[in-house]
Amino acid sequence: MSCPSSLPDPLGPATVQPEAPNSTSSPNRPEVESVVDAEFDIGIIGGGPAGSTAASYLAKAGLSVVLFEGDTFPRDHVGESLVPATTPVLLEIGAMDKIEAANFPKKFGAAWTSAEDRNIDHNGFRGLTHDFRAAEILFSERDQEGVDRDYTFHVDRSKFDAILLKHAEELGAKIFQGVRVSNVDFSGENPVIQAKVGSHQVDFPVRMVVDASGRQTKLGNQLKFKIPDPVFNQYAVHTWFDGLDRKALAVNKDQADYIFIHFLPVSDTWVWQIPITETITSIGVVSQKSRFQQYAGDREKYFWDTVASRPELMDVLKNADQVKGFKTEGDYSYGMSQVAGDKFVLIGDAARFVDPIFSSGVSVALNSARIASADIIAAAEAGDFKKERFATYEKKLRRGVSNWYEFISIYYRLNILFTAFVQDDRYRLDVLKMLQGDVYDDEEPKALAAMRDIVKAVEEDPTHLWHPYLGDLKAPSAKPSF
Amino acid sequence: MTATSRDEIYTKLNAYIQEQFLDDSEISELKPDTPLLEWGVLNSMNTSILLTYIRTELGVTIPPTHITGRHFYSVETITDMVYELSLQPA
Repeated sequence: MSCPSSLPDPLGPATVQPEAPNSTSSPNRPEVESVVDAEFDIGIIGGGPAGSTAASYLAKAGLSVVLFEGDTFPRDHVGESLVPATTPVLLEIGAMDKIEAANFPKKFGAAWTSAEDRNIDHNGFRGLTHDFRAAEILFSERDQEGVDRDYTFHVDRSKFDAILLKHAEELGAKIFQGVRVSNVDFSGENPVIQAKVGSHQVDFPVRMVVDASGRQTKLGNQLKFKIPDPVFNQYAVHTWFDGLDRKALAVNKDQADYIFIHFLPVSDTWVWQIPITETITSIGVVSQKSRFQQYAGDREKYFWDTVASRPELMDVLKNADQVKGFKTEGDYSYGMSQVAGDKFVLIGDAARFVDPIFSSGVSVALNSARIASADIIAAAEAGDFKKERFATYEKKLRRGVSNWYEFISIYYRLNILFTAFVQDDRYRLDVLKMLQGDVYDDEEPKALAAMRDIVKAVEEDPTHLWHPYLGDLKAPSAKPSF
Repeated sequence: MTATSRDEIYTKLNAYIQEQFLDDSEISELKPDTPLLEWGVLNSMNTSILLTYIRTELGVTIPPTHITGRHFYSVETITDMVYELSLQPA
């Protein structure tokens, strides 16, 4: 059976949505109690892509899984553009047919535009060849293990996330929606998930906990693992537009359905352009939080003032209809001093969030769920959920995220360098590998080392021709400790 | 690689810059000491195009440390740099 593309109630009646047991005679009580009495191997906090993917892997492996989602799906979520590293995961958990059936716009590549070309044109010189006015990559340029198609997707997260959660449920995971986890008690033999069901607290003892609570970072906060990022303090304001001309800023008009990253002539500031449907386009402005603070919370003025720095982009937006209110994402970047411990792991945004520039969010969610699930299944077989059991997960996640982190840091520090590397046949595939999200299995990509050397040379020499192009975000020379 | 003479490098660079960056501009003739950066013939973006040309057509890779105002001052200084680098073992 395939899912329809429009899913008014994607989870259907099968989902258990317990209500508050007002008294012992409440008709809901037996249902809740029978669930509580059941023994669950794994308790998952959060039903976004990380949580539902972990639930799918673990339920497929025969473990009993209970998942708590605080919202009731469908619900909106930012992070709408995927990278091809999601493909092997969607295939493995058996959800790919459902994702294909939802008819999300296909994403064949990514393109970056800058404001530079305008200045050059104004000087009366012949413009750059199009390859230098904008950088583009096509995912199919590099073969990627486990990836069987040339594209990935841009998704309406309310639909995408609901499909994955329902899929986990069909594989046997017990899903609670509208049930918030208030705390996890680790003091006893087994962890106990304390969930808020209506106005009552219900305890769920489990053998181990997977925190997939996203940017809420449930366990990271509770166990005080969270470390704000010392470098990145960006802020995003985003919305949807109907009827936006996606071709307007595309150099190659066939690529209008790529993701576009438009750089603005404002330090460390860029705009995403992501197709959501035939006519709806997601637009987000990402800039330094300090800039946003100057607007005293006026999202609308901040959005339009920032976009106005790129007049051709302003024109495109002015001629489209804004169909949602402005939403913001703050408290941007963080890591965790620990991503696994005795009887718990953190996955997806609950483990780490850097910056959305390379559309890595859903990919990190799915792949961290994949890698962690392998360790969890082995741990369950061994009957031992101690921290050491999750060493492979921790190592792979930290390696992948550390490569991402440095790549993103360098990009902000000197984004002209990124354009140059994408054009350079010595490094193009290496950069593409990172853009595909293929970052977990190898040591450091050679392009990163080369980029780091160049940034150092440019920083140290004020007469360097790229010196004026250095951004304000300066990464520490040592890799972050988290 | 076979060593390219300094004159040959100069001729190629001069022609390339003239053709790529000066076609529609008011600057009619490029002299050996025309200050390329000062006059806006080269900027950081099209310098990267020139670097690609030097690497692919002249077989010389410019180290990132050489992308400076001193080396890219004029066609003459670029020629000197490329020539010197071409003599070094790769």
